[in-house]
Amino acid sequence: MNSAFTFKVNTRGVLLNLNPEVKFEILKEELKNHVNGASTFFAGVDLYLNIDGCCFQADQVREIMDIISGYQDVNNIYFTSKGSSSKNENRYKRDTVLIKGTLRSGQKIKYPTNIVILGDVNPGAEVIAGGDVIILGKLRGVVHAGARGMVEAQVIAFKLQPTQVRIAGYISRSPEEGISSEKLFKPERAYVKDSAIVVEELSI
Amino acid sequence: MAGKVIVITSGKGGVGKTTVTANLGTALAMDDNRVCLIDADIGLRNLDVVIGLENRIVYDIVDVVEKNCRLEQALIRDKRHNNLFLLPAAQTRDKTAVTPYQMKELTNTLREDMDYIIIDCPAGIEQGFKNAIAGADQAIIVTTPEVSAVRDADRIIGLLEAEGLKDPDVIINRIRMDMVEKGNMMDIDDMIEILAINLLGVVPEDEYIVVSTNKGEPIVLQDKTKAGQALKNIARRIQGEELPLMSLERDTLVKKIKRIVGLA
Ligand SMILES: Nc1ncnc2c1ncn2[C@@H]1O[C@H](COP(=O)(O)OP(=O)(O)OP(=O)(O)O)[C@@H](O)[C@H]1O
Ligand SMILES: [Mg+2]
Repeated sequence: MNSAFTFKVNTRGVLLNLNPEVKFEILKEELKNHVNGASTFFAGVDLYLNIDGCCFQADQVREIMDIISGYQDVNNIYFTSKGSSSKNENRYKRDTVLIKGTLRSGQKIKYPTNIVILGDVNPGAEVIAGGDVIILGKLRGVVHAGARGMVEAQVIAFKLQPTQVRIAGYISRSPEEGISSEKLFKPERAYVKDSAIVVEELSI
Repeated sequence: MAGKVIVITSGKGGVGKTTVTANLGTALAMDDNRVCLIDADIGLRNLDVVIGLENRIVYDIVDVVEKNCRLEQALIRDKRHNNLFLLPAAQTRDKTAVTPYQMKELTNTLREDMDYIIIDCPAGIEQGFKNAIAGADQAIIVTTPEVSAVRDADRIIGLLEAEGLKDPDVIINRIRMDMVEKGNMMDIDDMIEILAINLLGVVPEDEYIVVSTNKGEPIVLQDKTKAGQALKNIARRIQGEELPLMSLERDTLVKKIKRIVGLA
């Protein structure tokens, strides 16, 4: 994969591996896009910038710092050059957090991984995931999948009636009228297609 | 004797917690239980007014926890039922005057002498709420058929679970079937579907409740009102009886509710 950077989550925070083979201009662009799409996902998180193998000029480093500090409320930013595992770019996609039970109004969960919920997500509850969100129940609250910019992320629920769904930088709401009171469960999937969030019935 | 401690809570204010507390307490006493009501709404007490005992208050809950008096001195005996007692709130203090630990001690003492201890919780999710639920074995959530009240009820269920109070029941108060049928009010089964907890009863909107509140006479003392009957039925369900929901709701609706709450 030729992406300009990859992420890895560890116990201390998030490791951001910069790809030494990508042109600085492209790196800058992609970082900017990512920062814009990431919202507050990095709030309170320590960010480790892995510049292993990279060769930057002083003002390039400054530029990167400027961009990175655009992650809202990010805690500390460190530089490292530990031998990176940049081939592991999809690593967090494989990690999944399992939530047992219904999330009620006022409850909020946030993980840089995929999240699977064995219950409903009620109005007023919030789920933020770095990867996919799968709800084995009804979704009526707010979900943000791919919250760190992963556009391929998807949201799946037995009943998809969210207050709001966000995938990476895209937002969509349920139609205001016509909330069907159908009692039948019909699993649906929301994902990004042609720059918009679309919902389709899940065919299993 | 090991009495049961039940907290009546809601999150949102003004949905009928105090009304429900006074009426369930009275109804349980009418069924020959020894009952103590605790007004945990310190600083905004009004359970005493609703049950008509305001002019008998000498000591209050803060006096008890601060050991200005003994518990028995603060308990006010009801004027109609000698097995019903009220521990009033202090009016001149605030919610920080009592701690959750003190509430636990207090309810544990009362447990020895009562069948039911019913706590009227203040609105909100702060200190007063935490105090009120501290000693409870069971929670009853009161809500009205409004989106905001149901949302708050859902929040409260989450907070109760976090405090180890599992499986609360819900009472839906002030329902107007004419409005529900016209689609102008939240449907009962929509509410139960979101909250996903056991429905203990539905109390209709009844103007006599306002009259009875002002007179300090709980509506369960009246024979013919629908709201009074609904509250009496709830008291019987609390005592373990299995009663169908009143015919306020259409048949199909009752069936749906039963299905949702797992009775059928
Ligand atoms: N079923 C009903 N029909 C008509 N009026 C009602 C009904 N239930 C409650 N009320 C009225 O609603 C008002 C608020 O009730 P109540 O004081 O019991 O609510 P509360 O939840 O204890 O309020 P707070 O949060 O302020 O403690 C009162 O005036 C009461 O008479
Ligand atoms: Mg009250």
